[in-house]
Amino acid sequence: MMERDEMTKKILYVQTSGPDTPERLYAPFVLASTARAMGIDATVYFLAKGILGAVKGVPETIKMGSFPSLKVVMDQAAKAGVQMMVCTQSAQLWGKKAQPDEFEDGTKIVGAATLNDLALEYDAVLTF
Amino acid sequence: MTVEEKGVMRPSRTLDCIGLYCPEPVFRTREEISSVAVGEVLEILADDPASESDIRSWAKHAGHELVSTERVDGGFRFLVRRLA
Repeated sequence: MMERDEMTKKILYVQTSGPDTPERLYAPFVLASTARAMGIDATVYFLAKGILGAVKGVPETIKMGSFPSLKVVMDQAAKAGVQMMVCTQSAQLWGKKAQPDEFEDGTKIVGAATLNDLALEYDAVLTF
Repeated sequence: MTVEEKGVMRPSRTLDCIGLYCPEPVFRTREEISSVAVGEVLEILADDPASESDIRSWAKHAGHELVSTERVDGGFRFLVRRLA
């Protein structure tokens, strides 16, 4: 995990939308990448149906309009320093293994206590 | 009683959360911490990958010290010192 300056602003993006609404999947990553360019720390937390968009191999299959695939946008976000977290309970809810190899590289498996902690610690929480 | 000798922390109790998933390890740790005296250390064994981050978050808000997090076979070993 990268070093965090206590003074740096932080935004948490909670992704609850899944691949059945692909038009809702890009915004958290575009915003989070932009936040990083603005010197703001950014984390995307995949919750509930949102975890299905982080399952390994799925982002490559999602593409909207003139946008590149979701995989490209996610990789750009990761390269910009956006942290990505997957809710372990949500993974089980959808019958997925709550293990890192089930999800896109760079995602971290976390749980309820972590989300509560982040919501209190971050300066803003946006839910999609 | 927690004993620390030659840099090795010996917990006074062990909580086995192997096979349990979020939020059970946090729930059980919260219950079990009250069974050790203030200043003593509780050992928690867990294999939910979420526990690595969750136990740290819980300890921060519950007011206890996460002394160490160690990767062990297929999971984690946490040492938490009760502070209050």
